[in-house]
Order: sequence, then C-alpha cells, then structure tokens
Amino acid sequence: MDFAISSILFYAFAAMALICACAVIFANNPVTSAMNMALCFAATAAILFGLGAQFLGIVQIIVYAGAILVLFLFVVMMLDIKTEEEDNSFTVFRNLVRMAPGALVSGVFAAMVFIAAIKLPGATEWNNPLCKAWDSMGELCIGKQEASEQPAVSNFGGALPALNPAAAAKELNPAISNEEAAKATDIPDVKLLGQKLFSRYNIAFVILSFALLAGTVGAVALSRKIRKD
Amino acid sequence: MDIPLAHYLILSGLMFSIGLAGVLIRKNIIVVFMCLEMMLSAANLSLVAFSRANGVNGLPVYDAQVLALFVVAIAAAEVAIGLALIVAMFRARRTVSSAALNTLKED
Repeated sequence: MDFAISSILFYAFAAMALICACAVIFANNPVTSAMNMALCFAATAAILFGLGAQFLGIVQIIVYAGAILVLFLFVVMMLDIKTEEEDNSFTVFRNLVRMAPGALVSGVFAAMVFIAAIKLPGATEWNNPLCKAWDSMGELCIGKQEASEQPAVSNFGGALPALNPAAAAKELNPAISNEEAAKATDIPDVKLLGQKLFSRYNIAFVILSFALLAGTVGAVALSRKIRKD
Repeated sequence: MDIPLAHYLILSGLMFSIGLAGVLIRKNIIVVFMCLEMMLSAANLSLVAFSRANGVNGLPVYDAQVLALFVVAIAAAEVAIGLALIVAMFRARRTVSSAALNTLKED
C-alpha cells in the first residue's frame, strides 16, 4: 500500500491538531493554552488547504490565529491571571469526580460522531470512488474510469472527488469554449467563493457586517468604566 | 491511499468533543471561551469536508464555504463581546473562575 504525501500530511496535521487541543484543556497557564490553540488552528488551516479550500485556510490563520488569539492574549495579560492559581484544596479524588461528568459527556459525544461517520452509506468501502446517484452525468468521479458502473446508492466512501479546473473556468466564464476551459490548470478558489458571496449571499453578507458593528459597539459599551455619580 | 470523508468527520468530531470536554471541565472562564472557539473551528472543518465531498462536476459546493466564512466572522464578533464580558466580570469579582458566578445560588 503506497501512501500519498497528502495523506501523510493529513494524518500528521490531524494528530498535531488533536494533541494541541488536548494541551489547551490540560495546561494550567492560560498563556500556554492560547499558544497551543494557535498551533491547533494552524494545523486545522493546513487541513483546510489540503481540502482545496485555500481561502478558508488563510482566513483561519488570519482571523483565528491572528486576531482572536491575540485578543485572548491581550486579555490574559491585561488581567494578570497568572497569579490566579487553581486552588489546590481539592484532593486528587475530588478533582477526578469533578472532571468525570464532562469527560463522560464528551466521550459519549465523540463515540456518537465516530459511529455516525462510519455508518455513512459506503463509508467503510475505502476503495470505491465517492459517487452519488443523483449525479447522472457520470462526470462526478473525475479521474475514475468506472463512473457509470457505480451502484445507484449514495456512497461516502473512497477518495474525495478530484477538483476539475476546466469546470471552474467554465463556471467563471460560461462563454469560453471547452478547449479554452481545458487549458485551465488551477482552481481560482477565491474568485468562485467571492462570486457566491457577493451574488447569492449578498444580503446575508451585509447583515453580517451589522453583526460585526454590533459586536464592536457592544464590546466598547461593556468594557468602559461605569462612573458612579 | 486517499483520505475518505469519514476521516475528516471523525477528526472534526474528536476536536469538537475535546472542546466540549474543556467547556465542561475547566473553571478558568478564558480557557472555557477558547474551547468554544475550538468547537466552532471543528464544525467549520466538517462543513468544508462536506462541501468538497458533495461537489458536482469537480467543483466544491461553495455555499458551504460561504457558511464557514460566516461562522468565522460571527466567531470574531462573539470573541469581542465575550472578552469584554470577561473583563467586566474580572472588574466586579477580581477573579475569572466560573465558580465565582454564584449570585443566583441559594446558600
């Protein structure tokens, strides 16, 4: 069995994301937590890159690891929480009892998601290409020859469908000929995303900007000193 | 060997449950808030994985990626409000332990 470099990278970054996520909840110092969360977000961004969502990967790094994490660090350092130690009056046993319900709930949730993911139609048939019955064109499984011989059920197993630069070029400019479209070599991810964002979801986008404005005003209103007079 | 969709979903589910565990276990409200952000980012990951898996004609479903972008933007607004609330709480109580929020508790 040969492993493609993309698979190795996926599993490496997945392991890194999970280890850093565990480090976030087990670190005593909030600054350590924040740094581990930055690493966790960076690994998630790498996985998004691997999925072909370059723009969202960049956004993940800029917004999550850049803006949100820095805000957290500002607050942690402003409030001087390092002096705030976990109270050690609890014994180990009482700590365990305190943690047990949370660990139980999240463990049950993880098992639930695991079973749901495995029970997706065809999810354990690793070798079948991912195909869906409603796509009658037979072109969904690009790079797989037996597209028309797929079973007529939804199938979530196998590799994710390959990206098709020709279809992307055609989507951006329907006027160009098939030969012109076939010359395209990459997926213009940002252009396609922006096309959706500013046409179909334009109103939602404008409303979102109001939400951000409300957030800014709310943050200023909450953190201002209340004068007592 | 290529990575099936199920592995992305399992990774996203595991990250979400680690975040959930942090929210339930930790007492430091700042770390609780960080774990909330981690849960949002895990949900984003599964949205993007499904967008790729449900793609038609070799293109991902960009509606899902727009939704993921909205989630990131709302998370940014939420962090601004939440951290302001934490600062306000620290001013009032001089602590960030969630155990200090017991005004409604009868004693």
